[in-house]
Amino acid sequence: MSKPKFAMYWASACGGCEIAVLNIDEKILDLDANFEVAFWPAAMDVKYKEVEAMDDESILVTLFNGSIRTDENEHMAHLLRRKSKLLVAFGSCANEGCIPGLANLSPREGIFECAYTSPSTENPDHLRPRSAWQAPEGTLTLTPLQSVVRTLDQVVEVDYHVPGCPPESHQIAAVLDVLIAVVKGEAELPPKGAVLGAGDSTVCDECTRKRDIKRISKLSRIQELPMLNTEDCLLEQGLMCSGPATRSGCNSRCPNVGAPCIGCYGAAPGVLDQGARLMTAIASVVDEKEPAAIDKVLDGLPDPAGTFYRFSLAHSLLRANRAALAEKP
Amino acid sequence: MQRITIDPLTRLEGHGKIEIFLDDAGDVANAYLQVPELRGFERFCVGRPVEEMPVLTNRICGVCPEAHHMAAAKAADAVYGVTPPPAAKKLRELLYSAFFFADHTTHFFILGGPDFIMGPDTPVAERNILGVIRKVGLEIGGKVIQARKYGHTTVEIIGGRKVHPCTAVPGGMTKAISEDERKEIEKMGRWAVEFGQFALQVFHDMVLGNPEYLALILGDAYTHKTYYMGLVDANNKVNFYDGKVRIVGPDGTLHGMYAPNDYTDWIAERVEPWSYLKFPYLKKVGWKGFADGAESGVYMATPLSRLNVSDGMATRWPRPNMRSSSPPWASRPIAAWPSTGRA
Repeated sequence: MSKPKFAMYWASACGGCEIAVLNIDEKILDLDANFEVAFWPAAMDVKYKEVEAMDDESILVTLFNGSIRTDENEHMAHLLRRKSKLLVAFGSCANEGCIPGLANLSPREGIFECAYTSPSTENPDHLRPRSAWQAPEGTLTLTPLQSVVRTLDQVVEVDYHVPGCPPESHQIAAVLDVLIAVVKGEAELPPKGAVLGAGDSTVCDECTRKRDIKRISKLSRIQELPMLNTEDCLLEQGLMCSGPATRSGCNSRCPNVGAPCIGCYGAAPGVLDQGARLMTAIASVVDEKEPAAIDKVLDGLPDPAGTFYRFSLAHSLLRANRAALAEKP
Repeated sequence: MQRITIDPLTRLEGHGKIEIFLDDAGDVANAYLQVPELRGFERFCVGRPVEEMPVLTNRICGVCPEAHHMAAAKAADAVYGVTPPPAAKKLRELLYSAFFFADHTTHFFILGGPDFIMGPDTPVAERNILGVIRKVGLEIGGKVIQARKYGHTTVEIIGGRKVHPCTAVPGGMTKAISEDERKEIEKMGRWAVEFGQFALQVFHDMVLGNPEYLALILGDAYTHKTYYMGLVDANNKVNFYDGKVRIVGPDGTLHGMYAPNDYTDWIAERVEPWSYLKFPYLKKVGWKGFADGAESGVYMATPLSRLNVSDGMATRWPRPNMRSSSPPWASRPIAAWPSTGRA
């Protein structure tokens, strides 16, 4: 009997999700033993045309990472939705938009202006990449950039979510085990829409640092602080941390090494908007009552939009700034 | 004109499409490498705190986040005019070296290498890491897996995470290593040196030992005679973390040396209407189109160019003698384009 098909695809992405999958180390052999890898641009040579030619739903599971930033990304989301029985939004870009989702704070022309008119760029003719350009030999097409970054579930129906930037390899291995058990008939599929490969609480809940005071009177940037101690809560030591609003599952990796949680596992369970929840969490621990004094504490946050919505802007209630949303898609 | 489209490019990080145009005789008239993606880091990093650049710019590339992490951390050091303490500098260098080892293992055995290890006549479905493991067997395949594991584990011990490290901040690192961690890293490092020699032997046997490959590597099709660029230390040896950028011409003569903060004196980036990627070139030579040779500002910034600009490695093994051919495995002609303009 032929093996079920597996695919992995990157839309607007960095490749870190692929490396995280390779970092399951010898477990990659289990993937090979139980699946036929039908499509995986990072690792094998299957082309788009071949994917188009596959039967609908002929791929059992596709791990789709990356956000939807271009027409090509959107086309691939629809194509792989059609070809796959199970479509998994894999990693932060596909689930929340991730850091590149911060591009939604600027209209598209602002991105072009910055990239193609920067001090290091020589562009006297104000050239911009174009969707079609007539080369001497023939027409070259380039997929257009859409006005805003979207997440996979804003474009097609998604069966499961695996969060993280990138998802932790031990979590990926656990998800793979579930899939293999399903293929072998030893387990049922998780309920549709489930978040796989993550915890069901917050990074704070799994963080080993001590949290006692629960009040903060000053927020500082890391370079303004004296040596941070290795035992106490970073937020209590005055460093902004996204742990209170971020889903657990990473074993609080960044706080463990003296770096604040930056929020890559996305919204904690039951939270609709990670940034709003984080604002609420911070507001509730600021140890001041008067508006002016509260403002002074918040002055320690030079970039509220980027801090609260660092990973989740594209999937937040706001999604993008008005100028970007008003542009033609 | 007849056209061959390769879409997407595979087994490398990033998105690409190649259009090859053939003339009436069936020869290549022209070819275009198009990069169909732009995420806009240039724009959305503006307004963000400088100390976040090491974690924001990581996301440019998840295959080489360590490079972006370090470049951003060094830029942040420069913003504050601070020099990290010696221990922090050593940790950064060690993290980067471990990454370099893991990344080159990934490239050699998983991304570029399968072409050589499996051979160009192998069915497409076998020309990948799974095919490689099936061919070389589990013992050697296991070694490759172990090498990647050790490299990424070292990155994780120092950088906090296997992908997208988080510990480099302006002026230093957020975490020290314990004596136990140091010992573990040393053990993995010694194993890695042996693995490196094994990988060189594989390259020697499977690539240089194959006359067809050798002809391909040394022939015209895969050779670019351009300027070469790489980072060197005060003794003109290859460095991966610090030093000056050295540039030599196609014949090896010095074009110039510059400190990274003088980038815009030496490099300019050109825009083409058919790709989101910009095309960096040597400003003092100028843009003369997509051409090689000493008159063209096109340069190469690759493993090969590091060797071409330096007097060798700072470690005890001598430099290979491969001055004017492209690096054998990384070397489709596009390798001439450095990745500095990556979206």
